[in-house]
Parts: sequence; C-alpha cells; structure tokens
Amino acid sequence: MKKIGVFVCHCGKNISSTVNIEKVVDEISKYPGVTYCEDYKYMCSSPGQQLVQKAILEHKLDGVVVSACSPTLHEQTFRNAAEISGMNPFMLEIANIREQCSWVHSDMKVATPKAISIIKTVVEKTKLNEALSPLKAEVIPKVLIIGAGIAGIQASLDIADAGHQVILLEKSPSIGGHMAQLSETFPTLDCSQCILTPKMVAVSQHKNIKLLTYSELEDLSGSIGNFKVKIKKKASYVDNEKCTGCGACTEKCPSKVISEFDEGLGKRKAIYTPFPQAVPNKPVLDKDHCIYFLKDGKCGICKITCTLDAIDFNQKDKIIEEEVGAIIVATGYELYPIKNMVEYGAGKYPDVVNGLQFERLLSASGPTNGNIRRPSDGKIPKRIVFLSCVGSRDPEHHQSYCSKICCMYMAKHALLYKENVKDGESIIFFIDVRTGGKDYEEFYTRAKQEGEILYVRGKPSRIIKEGDDLIVWSINTLTGKHLRINCDMVVLSMSMIPSKGIMALAKVLRIPTNDYGFLSEAHPKLRPVESIVPGFYLAGTVQGPKDIPEIVSQASAAAAKVLALFANDEISHSPVTAIVDEDICSGCGICIPVCPYDARELGGMQPKAKVNELLCEGCGICVAVCPSGASQQKNETDTQIGNMIEALL
Amino acid sequence: MKSKKSMVTELNQEIREILIEEGAEDIYKCFQCGKCTSICPWFQIEVFDFPAYTFSLKTAMGDMAASEDKFELEAEIDMIYRCVGCEACTDQCPHGISTPNILRAARRLLVDFGSYPDTLKSVVQKIHSDANPLGEPREKRADWANGLEIPSFSADLEFLYFTCCLTAYDPRMQKLSKATSFLLKKAGISFGILGEKESCCGEAIRRIGSESIFQEVSKANISNFENYLVKKVIVSSPHCYSTFKNEYPEFGAEIEVSHITEILFDSIERGTIIPNKEFNKKVVYHDPCDLGRKNNIYDEPRNVLKSIPGLELLEVEDFNRNLSVCCGAGSGGLWMEWDKDERIVNVRLKQLLETGADVIAVACPYCLQMFEETLKSMNSNVLVMDVTEILLESL
Repeated sequence: MKKIGVFVCHCGKNISSTVNIEKVVDEISKYPGVTYCEDYKYMCSSPGQQLVQKAILEHKLDGVVVSACSPTLHEQTFRNAAEISGMNPFMLEIANIREQCSWVHSDMKVATPKAISIIKTVVEKTKLNEALSPLKAEVIPKVLIIGAGIAGIQASLDIADAGHQVILLEKSPSIGGHMAQLSETFPTLDCSQCILTPKMVAVSQHKNIKLLTYSELEDLSGSIGNFKVKIKKKASYVDNEKCTGCGACTEKCPSKVISEFDEGLGKRKAIYTPFPQAVPNKPVLDKDHCIYFLKDGKCGICKITCTLDAIDFNQKDKIIEEEVGAIIVATGYELYPIKNMVEYGAGKYPDVVNGLQFERLLSASGPTNGNIRRPSDGKIPKRIVFLSCVGSRDPEHHQSYCSKICCMYMAKHALLYKENVKDGESIIFFIDVRTGGKDYEEFYTRAKQEGEILYVRGKPSRIIKEGDDLIVWSINTLTGKHLRINCDMVVLSMSMIPSKGIMALAKVLRIPTNDYGFLSEAHPKLRPVESIVPGFYLAGTVQGPKDIPEIVSQASAAAAKVLALFANDEISHSPVTAIVDEDICSGCGICIPVCPYDARELGGMQPKAKVNELLCEGCGICVAVCPSGASQQKNETDTQIGNMIEALL
Repeated sequence: MKSKKSMVTELNQEIREILIEEGAEDIYKCFQCGKCTSICPWFQIEVFDFPAYTFSLKTAMGDMAASEDKFELEAEIDMIYRCVGCEACTDQCPHGISTPNILRAARRLLVDFGSYPDTLKSVVQKIHSDANPLGEPREKRADWANGLEIPSFSADLEFLYFTCCLTAYDPRMQKLSKATSFLLKKAGISFGILGEKESCCGEAIRRIGSESIFQEVSKANISNFENYLVKKVIVSSPHCYSTFKNEYPEFGAEIEVSHITEILFDSIERGTIIPNKEFNKKVVYHDPCDLGRKNNIYDEPRNVLKSIPGLELLEVEDFNRNLSVCCGAGSGGLWMEWDKDERIVNVRLKQLLETGADVIAVACPYCLQMFEETLKSMNSNVLVMDVTEILLESL
C-alpha cells in the first residue's frame, strides 16, 4: 500500500472560515492509505512548502495531496518542492477545496464534509498515480512569419538580427502591406514609404531571411518546436533569376487592370510590380487578366520585349516544404466594404471613398501624383466631408468595436488636404474623438487649427447625390441644427476587419479567433502576443485594430517570445497524455477525427490508434469516445476515475 | 400667459423608472450619435424640428412627460405624438434602439393622466366601444361581404381572412377586401371570415399609448382564434400583420400570419393565379413601414407587380425598401391634424410623384387612405391602388 501524505491549507481565512480544518484533518488521518496529515495557515509559503518536503523525507511518503486552492495556481509550486525532496513531481496532486468548496459555500456544515470528500477522491487518484517524466522535444530554431506588412517585417528583422532563420511569407507580389500605401503617418507626418522602404530593403538583403512572396500557406502539421509547413509559391511566369526588373515588359503590356495597390483608383498592367519600391522588384504576371492566357497565346508581347528571356509561360505553381519551430501570424487587416453601407450609396457614388483610397489620392506615388482629384470627373474637391465610425461601433448592423485609428487618420487627412488644396474645406463628423496615444491629442489640436477643420458632432444618416454634388444629411447634436451639407467628396472611415481568408487560415493553423475573425490572444492582458495554442504568436492587426507604433511594438514582442523559445535546444511537454493499449484497440478509428490536435493516427498492418505524444494536450476526448477502453490517459485512468467516484459515494 | 421655464433639470429617477417599466429600457444603449434624427421623416420637413436623439437621454434624466407646467407639457405632448412609429430610426440605429418604444412609454404615462390629443381619445373610445376606430356598429362588420358567398370561418377551412377595420367599413377600402376575397377564391384557397366576431387588431391604440384597452381588445381576438381553432390568418393590413406576428404571442396567441401579398405571390408562382391582361402603366411601389422595415417583406409585393404583363415597375431612388419614408399614418398619425407644411405625407408623395408614375401601388390601407386623400386635394391624375386591385385588373 502506498503511503500518502495530506496537507490541508487554511489559506488565511479563505478556507478555514467555512471549512472546519480540525475536523478535516481528523477524518482524513483515518482514511485508508493516508499515513500522515497536517494543516498549516499558508501552505504555499516557504515554511509551508518545507513542511511538505520534511514530511516526504521523514515519513517516506509515496504520494502527496495538497488540499488548497486551484491547481492552476500552485500545482507547479508544490511539485517543484516535492521534487527537491526526491519525489517524482507527478506523485503530487492538488485537492481544490477553495474555489470549488470554501468560496462557494457559506455554511460550514455543508462545506466541511464536501472538503473531506474532495480530498478523499484525490487521495484515491494519487494512490494509483505513476511516476512520469516530462517529454522532451527538439526545437527547430527557425520561424515562419505569415504576412509581410510592417508587423511581419519588424518581427522578421528582429529574429533574423538575433541570428535565427526566418521564412517570411507574403501572398501578394510585394512585401510592405498597407503601410506602403499610406501617404504620411500620424502624429509626426513622416512619409510612410520613406520610413518603411529601408526596412523592406533590409528584409530583402538579410542573409537570415528567406522571402517567399506571391505565396500562400497550404498545409501545416506538427506542434511547437517542430512544425512542418507546406507553402504554395504561385507561378509568376517570370524567371526571377534572369529578370533584372527593368520594367520593359510592363510598359509594353496591352492589358490594363484595376490596381489593387491604388485601391481601384488607378490601373496597372497584367504583368506588373504593384509599386515602384516593391520588394522584390520583379514583376508577376496576373494570369486572370493576361491576353496570352485568356486568348490562347494571342499576345506574348512581354516575352518578345524581354531581352533576357525571363518570361516563362510554362511556369507552374511550386510547393515548398519547410520545418520550423514557431509561427508568427501577421496577416493584417482590410477595410469593411462600402457596399455594406446602403444609406451612404452602397458604393454607387465614385466620389464616396474609403480611407485607404484617400491615402492613395494623397500619396505622391498615387494615381493622381498626390494632387487631390475626385474620382468621378477629376475635379479638385473644394469641400470634403469625412465620416467617422462607418461600420464601427455599430453592433446592430456591422462591427461592434472601435477601429481605433480612424479619429487620428481623419484629422491627418483633413490637414493634408488643406495643405494640398488651400481653399479646400474639411468637415469631420464624429461621435467621440479618440486620441489615446503619445502626442496624439496634440496632433488633433494642431490639425483642427492648421487644417481649419470643422468638427461636427453627429452621425449622418444619408449621402444622396444631387447633380454634381453629394449631400450629407445629419444633425449637429451639440446645437440641434439640421444639416444638409453639399460637398464634392465624402471619405468614409470604414472599420478595420481581418483580411480575407483569416478564418480559413485559422482553421489550417487550428488557432482560435473571435467572432469577427481577429485571432484570440492567450490572455488579454498578460499574454497579448501569444495564441493559446503553443508555438503560435500574433503580431499586428490580425489580433485587433491598432496603429503603426502599436503594431511595431507587438511585432517586436512576438519576436522576443520566439527568441525565448529558441534560446533552448529543447522544450518539455507535459507527460499527461493519452496512451493506447494496442492489445485492446480494434482500430475502429472513432478517436481520430475527434482529436482537436491531430495527435492521433491509425497505423500498422492491422491498424491501431497511435498517439503523437508531443501533439497530445491530454484533453481526454479520445479516452471518452473509445468504445473498448483501449485509450487511457496517463494518471487519469478509468480505474483511477472509478475509484475516485467510489470515494465520493 | 406663458410661464417662465426653469433652465435647471433635476434628475428625476422616479419618472425614469416608470418610463423604463413602460418599455423605454433601451435608453442606456444610446450614445447620442443623432443618426435617428436625420433619418426620421420629420427631418424632411423643413419647418419642424423633431429631435429624436434627445429622447433617450431625456428619459434617462427623467425629463420626459414629467413637466408640471401646463404650457411645457402641451408642447411636449405635441412632440411626443408626432412620432409615426415608422422605425426608420430603429432600422438605422447602431444599437437598435426603438425610439418609438421610448415615446410609447411616455405616451402610456400621458394616457394614464388623460393628457393626450382629443382626436386620439375619440379613436381609443371608438375602438373600445365598437371594436373599430370609425365608430361603426359591430354588426355591420361583414357587410362588405354581402353577396360574395364567403363562408364563416370554421375549423375545416385553412385560413381566416382577417379584414382591417378600414377595409371592413370604409366604402373605398372595401374594394380591397372584395378584391382580396375574389383573388383568394380564384387561387383556390380555402378561407372564411369571422364577421362581427372580429375586433380591431388594436395596433393603433397600443401605439397611441392606451395599453389597457389594447390588451382588452387583443385578448378578445385571441380568445376568438382559440375558440374557432384558427391556425392560419391572412391579413390585408401590415399593421394587423405586425401586431399578430410580433405582439399577440406576448398574450399566448399561436397563429401563423401571412400578408395577402405573400399569399398572392405564392399563388402566382404555383400558377393558380395567372395575370394575363396587360396593365400598361408605370407603377411605383411604396413600401409600408409595417410590412418592410418591421417585417422584412420587400420582395413579395414587388414580385406580384412584376408578374403583371405591361406593368412598368418604378422605384423611388434612394428612398425605397428599408430607406422608404412613412406615409405619416402610423402610430395614430392617420387621425392627427398638422399644418399643411408639416405633413409627412406631402414629403413622401413628392418623392413618389417625381418618379413619373401613373399609379402609386400600396400594400396597406393606411397608406392608401393617406395618399388618396392628399392627392384629391392636389387635383392629381395619379391613381393610388392596392396591389390586390392592380392584380385583379390583370386577370
């Protein structure tokens, strides 16, 4: 018979005010198998831990039950203490008599027998516990970063600079993300491209960064420390070894396509680099708009033009396989489509644009070379109305959250517009102006004055076209006056939503999102850059709306977390996993699809379920569904659970 | 002499609690963005200010229907009874706040004190005594059906056709109930009527604020439905529709309700009604608030019209479907008298006439009455017809 020691904690008065500790000790001391029982005011304190350590040695205990708070708080504390006394840490268990007993009862007559029952069940479990050792796994010190906007770029540089290999994946032809589209950035008004492009170049030149643009993640397996990823590099029909990026093919290409980079306000060619500073600065051929592909080879001007013979119409998509130890997801955001705003014309008025389109109009590299022209007729807009919270803060129809950056960029837009069009007039409709950031309020104050911006409190209800003008209907909630404002253009601050495909990606990665598709962090305050699934880290707007300084901070934080992981050659994994008794297993396979971690497979000549212990998180679903009892969880076997229930009855 | 108004508002928690009790529970959701106010039909009336966005905050302050000053209270009553309950504000509110419900809470308080417009008092009175707002005798409720051989409802019939009070009594509106019964027969649908057993659905008086009489009248209908084993009801009026579907269940009614346009479109799809006579007119369809915004029935009436050969269907650009503008008759508006330049119906008619339509199609007796009477005074040639009337002409 194993010798079990039980240690009952008072937790100050947290437990002792509703549980009669003396009675508990008295009862438990008599329980079969318990050879030692003691109580103490604060068991987790240093003297408390020493009590446990001393008893283990003096009474030659085989197992220990600490009756105290939740195991999430101090299980590790006591297991460490037990280990110092030479006991296998998995021979120590916690009986939770605080959260599950003393805190939820006020009557000592009820709480005391309940505490006794709880302890008895855990004693029963401990009697059959086996000594276990943590599983060790090698860590591949290489990271996959998905998304090469400013978040992915920053994280890549930080990790690469620390000497580790980075694979940077980007689905579009160039890295840079939305930041490359911006004109100037608040609150300092630095030119966005001027501060971004040096980082883009650094990425392209870094010996530790392998850049895979025009590529998407196809598949993923494995777990923290050792992921296997399959990446599809889409055919660009350009041989980058030969191409020098001279641009002759683009110039001659006859097919004009609406430019994604210019947010639909400009045109690009079918063979193109999205913008002059693109990295890599090699064109890609967009097959869906290429005349050669659409009309059975009737074009090929690019191929004729290219003196280096870099155009290869026979190029195929390529699958690249890599092994990495960690993954940072930095897939960013997009803007909620205007077509969802029926009351504002649902996208039928070309002069009603979104914030990113206005950035392109302001940008020196934009479709109007930085001169503000309205899209419908190229006229210089003399009055622009800006609407805040469009699609944001509207739980009834759109997104419930605040998109966080709009208040600031609207002030910036209006200020830059004033610099651009001296006699221009800006009207910003707001509900609240939120300027929570260093130097932000000062910028807002400056923009209001220098930009001569009229801030009107109210949420417009309609945008209606009358002749050449747009009419915005609203009221000024501070004066109560009705407003029907004629203007030349309206800029809608559309809410930020996660980029397309995030749900599908989250499914491949098997990491949780919130209702809107933003990836969920492990803890909203204390673990903001980690997913709850080990090995995955979040950077940038994939986690929620945020501005550039915050994105960069988060990216560096994610990089730091990855570097901490890479600082060790191996990681340890809990040995409390499922096991399969192959003699009993019939190979029915019921357990395979229920495993949320893909930790099980059928293998062998006569198929039997097998467990990949490094992937297994010990959730126990497979154990519950197994019809024959072949699946068991270590230290939570059916026999143990049966004994625990018996102790309760 | 007008008394001087104090500028100081006390926080009147007692009034607030009463109004919340009466249905103003949405007030704490409001962030005073004001979108309600400029989507409200009153916004389109230049000479009148209807500050819908203030009502939540005023209620939260206990500053609604709370004045003891006679003149102030009168001005407030005038304001509170402007609301036509069209829910355009609710439809657009980021938090789904029903300003009509907040105002209805205030109305309930005013009705309790007897401080509400005399015309509406008379409507409430008539519905209470005669079960219809026109004050017509109950025993004449089925007179419209004389000679039409419509059976009294019994459990072996599939549908009860429940007429609106207007379509039961008003000589012009009776054309709708006659057209409806003809079309239902044509489609081979088994239905009957309850005749003098029928009472007003009570929608209008509930919106006016007379909750106790509403409950009395509606319970009479509900117990009739139970006694006659009514399972499915067809209605002409979107107001009956909304009330039966969304409000009677509060009092235990278990009926399936269909608007006539849903039944007709279904019949056309099945081929039991085949519109084959050309109706060579330009027709603009006006969405009734209770059918469209409140119950999401936008397409069925349009589809009925589209199935009629020769008919050219027009839309009021920018102001159709959920962005349609009320005719002004809702929530007691049918009986309210406002100055000529303060009538919502004129705003909506202007939009409808600007489409160049020959016919304004409606699917609600209230809208029909509002438009037709106003057009008469304008000596316009444009006709107002119910969807059922137009369909009848094409058979």
